[in-house]
Amino acid sequence: MDALGIEWSLLLAQIVNFLLLIVLLRMFLYQPVLNMLNARKERIAQSMKDAERVSAAAREAEQEKAKVLEQARREAQEIRAQATRDAEKIAQEVRGRADLEATDIRMKAQVDAARQIELALADANKQIADLAILATEKLLGRELADKAEQKRFVAEFLADAGSKGK
Amino acid sequence: MGKKLVELLWSTQQRKTWTIILGGLFVASLLIRFISPVPPPHVALSGEPLFSAGPKWFTNSVLTTLIVDIILLVLALSVRFGIKEIPTGLQNVMETVIEALYGLAESVAGKNALKFFPWVATIFLFVIISNWSGMIPGVGSIGFYHPVKEHGDEHASLLDNQLAMVGGNILLSAPESAQTVPASAESEKGKFIPLFRAPSADLNVTFAIALATMVMVQIWGVRHLGGSYFNKFFNFRGPNGFMKGINGFVGILELISEVARIIAFGFRLFGNVFAGEIVLATMAFLVAFLLPVPFYVLEVFVGFVQALVFMMLALVFFQMSTISHGSHDEHH
Repeated sequence: MDALGIEWSLLLAQIVNFLLLIVLLRMFLYQPVLNMLNARKERIAQSMKDAERVSAAAREAEQEKAKVLEQARREAQEIRAQATRDAEKIAQEVRGRADLEATDIRMKAQVDAARQIELALADANKQIADLAILATEKLLGRELADKAEQKRFVAEFLADAGSKGK
Repeated sequence: MGKKLVELLWSTQQRKTWTIILGGLFVASLLIRFISPVPPPHVALSGEPLFSAGPKWFTNSVLTTLIVDIILLVLALSVRFGIKEIPTGLQNVMETVIEALYGLAESVAGKNALKFFPWVATIFLFVIISNWSGMIPGVGSIGFYHPVKEHGDEHASLLDNQLAMVGGNILLSAPESAQTVPASAESEKGKFIPLFRAPSADLNVTFAIALATMVMVQIWGVRHLGGSYFNKFFNFRGPNGFMKGINGFVGILELISEVARIIAFGFRLFGNVFAGEIVLATMAFLVAFLLPVPFYVLEVFVGFVQALVFMMLALVFFQMSTISHGSHDEHH
């Protein structure tokens, strides 16, 4: 032992030194570094998971957006079609009503006109009868006695002529 | 052939510069050998007390051990108190080293890795820095001359157990031959004591780690297997008398192998590092420049490999001690 330079005191001192070194390095180097490595590993795993989730959410949102857009487009188209149909219907209705009114107005005008003609004719008949009586009186030189009878006679005549003329 | 050599050495400006530098160094090595002959390298098998009057235990390897401790602790503390989530500089290096070591421990010890890790990592870090500390210029070459006491037997005991180098031949000087060792520079000015000595080139250090490791192997064995751990050493069971005898003999072999492991651990590391130092010193003595360079590269590698080997063996022994031997046999 001595020939190799081994001394018990030195050996013991070196063992103590080595054990102390283990304790100190464990306290100041291994544990902090290993803890830090673990913490970082966890954090990286967490952030990767988060990133995954975020991208998944983004993808979902994108899909949602596309779906909503599609829906909106379809609805807009439907609304437009509906509006066109409605407008068509309204236009038709309006046209129909206008036609109806026009016909109404025309018919009323016709009726009016007919009545006017009738009135004018009646008036003319009356005047003609009066003139005819007047002319007859003039011709006869005297006044016709029974004026009412005369008038009735002329009117009958005219009515006759009227019906014959038709 | 000759043309090729000329081209290799003298074709470009850069090559010319290198050729001149290398040639100059080579010539300088030869000149130094003749102009100012250097004493043969100091080679001592063990650490030597630094102060001739001071305590005997305060050897150069103890001093270097303390320096290695301080280096490790400074590294550890600077990492501990500057630790950040986003690593920089030194923290990066230490994290890489520790992660690599932990990966190694995990690959061998599995779930026991965390328990064994402080031991094996400390072995690795301490041993590798110790090994490399021997290669720092000045370690082994800076030192004092101790005055040699006049009376002869004192002189003999001082020179005792020294490897002396004579004309490139190394010889182990025994006490009887101490006086016959041809005069080297040492004997003129006294005995040369280097200030530093690589801790792993001191058997006290290597055996300290070896002993602590093998004691710990037994402790972990008992902790994991309880009293049945010792069945490995004292196993007299067997189906017949012959097998009982065989198993008993195997137990004795196991006991011997535990002791052999301590010795193997201690001498393997010591031998590699000590031999490496002698090689470097010898090469530098023979040719001052250029020649030691490839050996330095080799020694850097050897220093790393020895640290790794010590760590891996300790790890494997730790792990083996936790696995029951007996139950394995009984299943057959």
